[in-house]
Amino acid sequence: MKPLMLQGHERAITQIKYNREGDLLFSAAKDSKPNVWWSLNGERLGTFNGHGGVVWCLDVDWQSIHLITGGGDSSCRLWDLETGKNIATIKTNSSVRTCNFSYSAYQAAYTTDKAMGHPCEVFIIDTRTIDDSISSASSILKWEITDSKVTSMIWGTLDETIITGHEAGDLIQWDLRTGKKIHSIKEHSRQINDMQLSRDGTMFITASKDQTAKLFDTSSLELLKEYKTERPVNSAALSPILDHVVLGGGQDAMEVTTTSTRQGKFDARFFHLVFEEEFGRVKGHFGPINSLAFHPDGRSYASGGEDGYVRVQSFDQAYFDYTFDYNRD
Amino acid sequence: MAKKKGDEKVNQTSHSDNEEQNFDEEPNFEDPEGFVDDITDEELLADLLEQKPKESDGYENVVVVDGCPQVGPERLEKLQSVINKIFGKFGGIVNEYYPTTENGLTTGYIFLEYSNPQNAAEAVAATNNCKLDKQHTFLVNLFTDFKKYENIPAEWEPPAPQPLKVQSDLQWYLMDPDAYDQFLVGVGTGVALQVWQNALPEPTLLQERPNWTETYAVWSPLGTYLATFHWRGVALWAGPKFTQFQKFYHPEARFISFSPCENYIVTFSPSGDRGDDKKLIIWDIRTGQEKRSFPPPDEYVTWPIFRWSKDDRFFARLGTDVLSVYETPGFGLLDKKSIKIPGIRDFCWSPTDNVLAYWVAEEKDVPARVTLLELPNRTETRSKNLFSVADCKIHWQKSGDYLCVKVDRYSKLKKDKNELKYSGMYYNFEIFHMREKQVPVDSVEIKEPIQAFAWEPVGSKFAIIHGDQANIQISFYQVNTGQAPTLLKKLGGSFNHVFWSPQGQFVVLANFGLTGGALEFLDTNDFTIMNVADHYQMSGIEWDPTGRYVVTGVSSLKCKMDCGYYIWSFQGKILRRVMKEGFAQFHWRPRPPTLLSEKQQKDIKKNLKKYYPQFESKDRMRSTKASKELVAKRTEQMKRYREFRESASQQWTEQRSRRLELRGYVDTDQLPAAAGADEHAVEEIVEFFVKEEQTVIE
Repeated sequence: MKPLMLQGHERAITQIKYNREGDLLFSAAKDSKPNVWWSLNGERLGTFNGHGGVVWCLDVDWQSIHLITGGGDSSCRLWDLETGKNIATIKTNSSVRTCNFSYSAYQAAYTTDKAMGHPCEVFIIDTRTIDDSISSASSILKWEITDSKVTSMIWGTLDETIITGHEAGDLIQWDLRTGKKIHSIKEHSRQINDMQLSRDGTMFITASKDQTAKLFDTSSLELLKEYKTERPVNSAALSPILDHVVLGGGQDAMEVTTTSTRQGKFDARFFHLVFEEEFGRVKGHFGPINSLAFHPDGRSYASGGEDGYVRVQSFDQAYFDYTFDYNRD
Repeated sequence: MAKKKGDEKVNQTSHSDNEEQNFDEEPNFEDPEGFVDDITDEELLADLLEQKPKESDGYENVVVVDGCPQVGPERLEKLQSVINKIFGKFGGIVNEYYPTTENGLTTGYIFLEYSNPQNAAEAVAATNNCKLDKQHTFLVNLFTDFKKYENIPAEWEPPAPQPLKVQSDLQWYLMDPDAYDQFLVGVGTGVALQVWQNALPEPTLLQERPNWTETYAVWSPLGTYLATFHWRGVALWAGPKFTQFQKFYHPEARFISFSPCENYIVTFSPSGDRGDDKKLIIWDIRTGQEKRSFPPPDEYVTWPIFRWSKDDRFFARLGTDVLSVYETPGFGLLDKKSIKIPGIRDFCWSPTDNVLAYWVAEEKDVPARVTLLELPNRTETRSKNLFSVADCKIHWQKSGDYLCVKVDRYSKLKKDKNELKYSGMYYNFEIFHMREKQVPVDSVEIKEPIQAFAWEPVGSKFAIIHGDQANIQISFYQVNTGQAPTLLKKLGGSFNHVFWSPQGQFVVLANFGLTGGALEFLDTNDFTIMNVADHYQMSGIEWDPTGRYVVTGVSSLKCKMDCGYYIWSFQGKILRRVMKEGFAQFHWRPRPPTLLSEKQQKDIKKNLKKYYPQFESKDRMRSTKASKELVAKRTEQMKRYREFRESASQQWTEQRSRRLELRGYVDTDQLPAAAGADEHAVEEIVEFFVKEEQTVIE
């Protein structure tokens, strides 16, 4: 089926996300205005104006009331989704690399880059009452990351833990009651670009520059599966309805000008979750894919690329009919 | 004598020891009665015996020169000066002795002593069998040799039979019941090597060794040996376990070439330190013996320097205006002299006969010439004069039935600062019919630049890729008896290489280079394009020796990205993609020519239908077995995954109450679409404006 092409950004897409219901699709890019779209027809609903530079990350709460964004202008911002109003701005010392609401959305976490003489830090903030007071309120908890910086982050189940992915490939699970490490593992050899939870939050998938994506148990950080490619993986997502994963990536953005689309391998690649076998590819982007998201109903997915486009692709019936041969009893 | 001395010493030392202990009384050193000395001197004072002067000491410096002129005392001085002049070259003569007979004549043999054994050895090597004059030939020996030869027993003793060293089966790779071929994969800059068997449904790894070679590795022409390069020389590996078969000590050898029957190997070490006249060495493969060595070539030449005739009987080398043909097993020049061919530029042996083709460049009014030379009788079986020739390339067809000489010709020649500049180039292909009487020659002319030429290895077709970069065409010709070659087909496409199947008929067209990668699989019987494919940035293609598979590869030496190789069927069906970081080389293991007669081969081809079902069922069995294995593996994986899921979802269910609490008792566990669609969905009709059209109605 023909994909929807969402043209609204002037620069490379950094992160895309659906809301819980899947009717809205949010996109952040290296231009300063995150967008929100109707996922059904690709119509743009609005933009969130206020950032003064690259927007690296965004997240929407489960009720689709608030949006949190973080960017290269050393700020983390909270928005009223309905009006697009910038409710609160938290000034930071360096770029905000990741930000996420917790399960309950009573809390949010964001991390900053190690830059300009400032260390990489993790902040937990209270988001129960969102108004301008947040801008000046101190965070509930914050701690410094002394080794390699945080490049991706997710909340564990039940607002109790967060898991950070690092530049050197480490994965660390933190206890939010104590701010201490619970588990620390190193299954990736290079930067972890993205982490996404499964629908029920019991598993998550990582995407790494070491050309693999891996599946982990959220509570124990036990490695479950590995998906190999020949290119850095920038993003990976788990299908909410089938045992499928989708991987996106491609040649490093820095090297893209010297490579043709044929060599860059900018395809979205589908693997079986359990068998780790690739069964399909979707072409389209003419730059690396930076972010991927499955629609919550599992019948379509969206990809945002270095080329500045967001593509929403619905699956054909053939995708649902395709099965792997194995003994089902 | 020596023994006695030793005994005394022992006594003295023990004596002095005792003196220290007891000064007053002289102890009794007499052996007790019945004492038997059972300790040998060797045991007791081996270190001292070692230093014992040997008779050979000093003698090693002495040489005996026999065959000298016998002279009286009046001419002795002259003889001495002559001898000194000759033998003084090898080092200072410290002592000389000219024995004389009773009547004052010298005996004709003399003794000379050098200051060290090296000089003596050199003198022997250089002057033995040297002629002094017509009557006198020096016979020079080391003095110690006489000693050696003296002790030869009068009776010949048969040498003890050597225990049989079991040679591993060198032809084992041909004994595979399914006739699977093997291939070699080099990874890293020729560091690790893997040997695979191209089995169905998946290749199996037979052998893998890190650091097997330092640069690269090659198969011998019949596939028996694998040659690897090391700083000390070249090693050959063979047999089922790839054990070391032979090694050739030639430091920093960079190039090797095998003789076609695998009897000899030539190694070339441009920078090795084995001396200037040992840059090029020819070895016997089976014995490991050095057969002959040569000084390096004077100028830059194309490898291989030595080119072998098909039966290993001759090998030849190109020189300035000369062609040197050597003969085995003597390794001397054929008829003791090189063949003078003024202006010879290149030559090539026929792959099937002891015939070679060479070409001679144009010189003033003498035209260029291509000649067929039969050896060893040196008869010119055919020659053809050619005019306005810039360059020639000799292409033998693999079955030796035809020879094609590609002639680059010019219409204008300009001399510019001693540099020749050709313009108005056009190209002739001179086809020699080797199997016909008097070797008739046909010619095909093409006015466009030539990219590639290739003979069908078996059969009578050839392919030419011609045209400039923007407009490339591929022409297929058929050679006929008694008439000019006919053009079979002309195809377009941006290809710059053509690869024939070793069995003929099928051909792969390819485009190499940084932006290349296009592939076309062609059947030249009816010129159907069987498949069009692509292997981006591909840098090499190799057919397997049976013509069933084609491998395309991207080598890490050419391209840093996506190195690896693809295996295709001859029809262009992709069978396997292997991506391997640092992939450097791929070589199919060659096979010797078939032992079946032509009739047998024909019979097999005729009855192919009979064999076909057998192979088919075998293949099917194998693939079902493989898919069964895959299904079993998946089932196992799924089972384990389900176990994990069960515990995970159990945990999830347990946490339900806490989840509800966190989200204000709103149940979000179900998919919103699934939960909401039935109960809360409100159908909304949205109308939007599509298009407005205005038409004027009359």
